[in-house]
Amino acid sequence: MKKKILLIEDDYLDVESVKRALKKLNLDFEIEVAHNGVDGLSILTESPSGKNKSMPDVIILDINMPKMNGIEFLRIIKSYYSLKSIKIFILTTSAEEYDKLSTESLGVNGYILKPLNFKDEKSKATLALLTELLS
Amino acid sequence: MNIRIQLFSGFLILALAFLVVFYVNQRLYQEVLNNTNYLNNSETVIRNSNVLHKKIIEMQSGFRGFLLTGQESFLTSYSAGISSLPPLITEQRSLLSSPDQKKRLDSISTLHDQWMVYADSLILSKKDTLPEAEIRYKRLIDRKLKMEVGKKLNDMISTVFLYFDDEEYNLRQKRRAVLQQSIQSTKNISIILSVGVILLAFIAFLYFIKMITGRISQMANLADRISKGSFISMKYPKKDEFTKLVNSLNLMSETLDKNFKELKQKNKELDQFAYVVSHDLKAPLRGISNIVDWIEEDHENDITSPVGDMLHLIKGRTLRLENMINGLLEYAKIGRIKKGVEDVDLNTLIAEIKDMVVPTDVPIFIEDTLPVLKAQRIHLEQVFTNLIGNAIKYNKSNDPRIFIRSTDLGEYYQFSVEDNGPGIEERYFEKIFEIFQTLQERDAFESTGVGLAIVKKIIEDNKGTIRVESVIGKGSTFIFTWPKKLQNEKENTADRR
Repeated sequence: MKKKILLIEDDYLDVESVKRALKKLNLDFEIEVAHNGVDGLSILTESPSGKNKSMPDVIILDINMPKMNGIEFLRIIKSYYSLKSIKIFILTTSAEEYDKLSTESLGVNGYILKPLNFKDEKSKATLALLTELLS
Repeated sequence: MNIRIQLFSGFLILALAFLVVFYVNQRLYQEVLNNTNYLNNSETVIRNSNVLHKKIIEMQSGFRGFLLTGQESFLTSYSAGISSLPPLITEQRSLLSSPDQKKRLDSISTLHDQWMVYADSLILSKKDTLPEAEIRYKRLIDRKLKMEVGKKLNDMISTVFLYFDDEEYNLRQKRRAVLQQSIQSTKNISIILSVGVILLAFIAFLYFIKMITGRISQMANLADRISKGSFISMKYPKKDEFTKLVNSLNLMSETLDKNFKELKQKNKELDQFAYVVSHDLKAPLRGISNIVDWIEEDHENDITSPVGDMLHLIKGRTLRLENMINGLLEYAKIGRIKKGVEDVDLNTLIAEIKDMVVPTDVPIFIEDTLPVLKAQRIHLEQVFTNLIGNAIKYNKSNDPRIFIRSTDLGEYYQFSVEDNGPGIEERYFEKIFEIFQTLQERDAFESTGVGLAIVKKIIEDNKGTIRVESVIGKGSTFIFTWPKKLQNEKENTADRR
């Protein structure tokens, strides 16, 4: 079965950047995009047209978003038992912000640094981890 | 209470105390004077009594001499006594204060008068030449002289004198003792009062010193704490001359506190601004260059060459803008970031810079050993990196060379970085130090015109100066000074405390 990624990011440029970076991994996966936390949450919790939709394997989450930001989103999905196993990677501007999130034990598996040029070590490591998860 | 009023009341109390002391001394002096007068009075009375007694005795012996010899010369003292005794007695009476003594004097006077009556009768009879006079004289001799009437009177007078003198001696003794006593007590009281007043003055003095210095040191403490950066206010319930000062200090403290808070707020805003510039302005810029990249990536095969050139131009300009924003940030950060001051060995620093920015085929000639400076390392690093970097970047010579020199100018070191590049026209000597001013064409994105502006700002922040000397075609020399003593060393020590 195809692996599924849910990308929650409001900026089209960033969405494009992530998509292109993932595409370069040459893996077979399905990607769905939500443009804010509320949309992301509805994708996860609602099953449209009665079909039992499969849950994504990975969520890539932006922190600064309108309507519902990444942190609020994290808090909510961590309260769903069925969603607990999804691996979550966040898009952040600084390692400090990530550290702050980690200390809140919100169960984040890694991060990608903005700007999304994937040139820094941490973002490369995250890509490697994603490769492992998606193959 | 007003300090002025307190001081004035203190002065009044002291003045009053001095007046009291003066008055008491005056009284004591008067008493001593009175006692002296009493004593003198007794002395005079005794002397007068002796004279009186002596005159009476002289009269008596003159009288007897005359009776025995009949020579009138004996009566000289007698008649002298008659005229001189009454005023003497009057004087003596006026000197006496004791009624007993007055009575004694009166009895002396009375007895003497009686004796005079007796003596006169005998003298007159003796002098009388009439025959019956002799009979009368004899009768008188028999009845009076032989009956010792005169002698008895004389004895009585002597006895009264004896009592009188005794009493007066006693009186003199007593008065002398009283005088002694009054002199002694005057001394004692004077000393006690003087010491008391001096003590009072001393206590008042101490009180005022303590009060005034206490208040001044309160002010000083407040000012000191304000100067050290704790902007507190002081409660000062008293109403006096210091109240205004305290209010001013408190107001100053409040104002400083407010301004410092505002400054902190402004710094925060500046940080925010820097963040906005770096993050929010750079992000869309990066977006643009990403898009250009993606266009190139996705349409690699269908981009015609004019479109490709334009895409290349877009990329160049965005990169240049990004570099300018970065430079602006760096420029704005100078002086705001207070990193630790350390000993910076320029020899090591230049070697490091050489490794980083100088190609291996460009030699750097350093004259002598460079000094060790007390400075923020990042500052010196930025200055030399920019100057050396420029010396290489614009150097189109086939054999590029860089010379670094240092001169000790006493309070300053003078450094120069010389190259053998194209040189700079004199009309640009000032302009090159302005931000975003570059002599390169606009598309040379690596030259944003920030480097020399940063160098100049760093050097001037550290109270140094920078200038350029250049000859077209021969090269440029950037000359700058750097103070040996750190300008804000004081502030740093204060911070460390």
